[in-house]
Amino acid sequence: MISSTLAIARKDLRLAFAGGQGPVQAVLLGLLLVFIFSLSAAPGERFSPQQAMAIFWLCSSFAVVLIFSLLFRFEEENDTATALLLSPLPVQGLWLGKTLAGLVLLLLCQVFFFPAALVFLGLDPGGNPGGLALMVLGVDLGLCVLGGLIGAMGHGQGAKDALLTIIVFPLQVPLLLGGIRIGVGLMQGVPLAALGDWFGLVLAFDAVFSGAALFLFPHVFRGE
Amino acid sequence: MMGSGSLLDLRSVSHFFGSRLIFKGVSCVLDPASIMLVAGPNGAGKSTLLKIMAGLLAPRAGSVRRGVPDRSMAFMGHQTFVYPALSALGNLEFWNSVYGRGLDDAGLLGLLDRVGLKGFALEAAGTFSRGMAQRLSLARVLLVEPELLFLDEPSTGLDTASQALLHNELEAARARGAGVVWISHDLERDLGRADTVLQLSGRAMAYFGPAGEFSREAL
Amino acid sequence: MFRIYPKMLMFLAAATMLLMAVGQYAIWVYAPEEMTMGLVQKIFYFHLPLAWWSFVAFFGVCAASVLVLWTGKEKWDVLAGVLAEVGVLFSGLALVTGSIWGRAAWNTWWTWDPRLSTTLVMWFVYAGYLVLRAADAGGAKGARMRAVLGIVAFVDVPLVFLSARLWRSIHPAVLASRSGGLEPEMWTTVWINVVAWGALFAAVVLARYHGAGFARRVEAALVRIQEKTLQ
Repeated sequence: MISSTLAIARKDLRLAFAGGQGPVQAVLLGLLLVFIFSLSAAPGERFSPQQAMAIFWLCSSFAVVLIFSLLFRFEEENDTATALLLSPLPVQGLWLGKTLAGLVLLLLCQVFFFPAALVFLGLDPGGNPGGLALMVLGVDLGLCVLGGLIGAMGHGQGAKDALLTIIVFPLQVPLLLGGIRIGVGLMQGVPLAALGDWFGLVLAFDAVFSGAALFLFPHVFRGE
Repeated sequence: MMGSGSLLDLRSVSHFFGSRLIFKGVSCVLDPASIMLVAGPNGAGKSTLLKIMAGLLAPRAGSVRRGVPDRSMAFMGHQTFVYPALSALGNLEFWNSVYGRGLDDAGLLGLLDRVGLKGFALEAAGTFSRGMAQRLSLARVLLVEPELLFLDEPSTGLDTASQALLHNELEAARARGAGVVWISHDLERDLGRADTVLQLSGRAMAYFGPAGEFSREAL
Repeated sequence: MFRIYPKMLMFLAAATMLLMAVGQYAIWVYAPEEMTMGLVQKIFYFHLPLAWWSFVAFFGVCAASVLVLWTGKEKWDVLAGVLAEVGVLFSGLALVTGSIWGRAAWNTWWTWDPRLSTTLVMWFVYAGYLVLRAADAGGAKGARMRAVLGIVAFVDVPLVFLSARLWRSIHPAVLASRSGGLEPEMWTTVWINVVAWGALFAAVVLARYHGAGFARRVEAALVRIQEKTLQ
């Protein structure tokens, strides 16, 4: 299962970058959001760390929706979804492969969002890059685990996959709160140990929704 | 006839879409080294039956037993199952790892050569004509070396040379002991190649038996 | 297919009328007026049953969704939809009554309280769920999708609540204890009203279930008629 999961992730990343596109749409939307929010402060006025972190995670949240919409669109043309269902690949492997590919693309988007937040929002990264990376990874994982499950529901639904966002965003709330709170804490020099509760919550989200996705994905992605 | 060595065994299979009956009471057996032709008018549910046989759909009633694992099963239909943004070789590389076949690039190029696409190995499959995409689909089937093969009118859009290629591969598959279920619109042409015929008509199975005893007038 | 329970509906409707009458009497006549807040406190007798039954409804959506995946029966899908409708309605009313209470008690229409915030997030989730239901053409696949959403939504509830509580623990809270000093008569009134709203909840769910069931029956009958004419 691991090798075919990696094959899915590799294939999806190749497809994403074929034609030089990649997650360009998600990156542009995120940058645009950062820019527009930067207008909400008067010239010379700085954003509070909480505002800056909230905007950063809002961009990431929008990016996840676009990324998984893209990843599942790959299986619509020529009905490759059916070919995957007929293959020996366990269907959970497909979910895992898509989640991994989504995680890579999301991290790539954030490579652009982060400096944009530094420049436009005056975000101060603080002195704990390791902790920050750990937090971003933990929250991103949760976003992608959920994205991989809900994104598959948009598969073959045409315009309806835009509707799914109205349920995805509120579901992400615990993760976004965690990302904002940990980020602000780290920037203000709070030690990692003091943020244990929040890390616990983020990991609980990752674990609970991974379990739910393993159980539920076969019901979402099937031949009917 | 119901021997445990059969590749496929359907008993009293019925299917509905919503509350609409598609067909009922389909029972059939596919033995190794044989070709089953599925016949019937448009809308009789032939494609649905094939999906049920392949395990894509669960029948509403009855049972389906397949004697081969998923990795020894292949399906070729109207849809080409091709990723347009990947090259012909890239498509095969992907299915190679999903099916765990372990072929190297030379092996995959050999398959492309057999379907006449070697010169297009590195070109994006999205630029292919329908016939070429179907030949790439055929290469995927060859890659799997299936013991159980499902064909849903695969010759649509194929030129004469490609059709000959497909028919050769059918004979080769039967010769190595594989079973084939084949939906064809051209009964005149294909009946001679089949061992058994299953005919769907009037929302039920109208005939299942040796191809030689199947009378075309029943259609 | 769909069984209907007309006698049970009659019974529930009658019980609702009776219990609601008793409940209103208890609120306005039996229960003493609260000393500091006065008349506004009586909102509490509406707010609490609404909030409770809305969470029962959301749990019911999850349970019915599990049954959809397990049995594949259409009736559970219909029940999940009906429960979500009533849950969104009740939690929406709980939010409005809670907000009015908050204005009177804490001098603010909205504050970050874990229970309030969780209810609001859940209201968003299930309102979204209803929009998706309304947009869907249906069929066996649609029922499974809705069931997965129904389960995922409920799995999220404890996580939302925990995160809302953690969030507040850094921000100092506006409020201390919520309903500390209730007198025994007040508690009796609360319980009578919880039961009364429970009867209304059950009656509305059952009535909507019948309606949705009849709609599906009519659709199935139309398909059969069309088939007959085609043959």
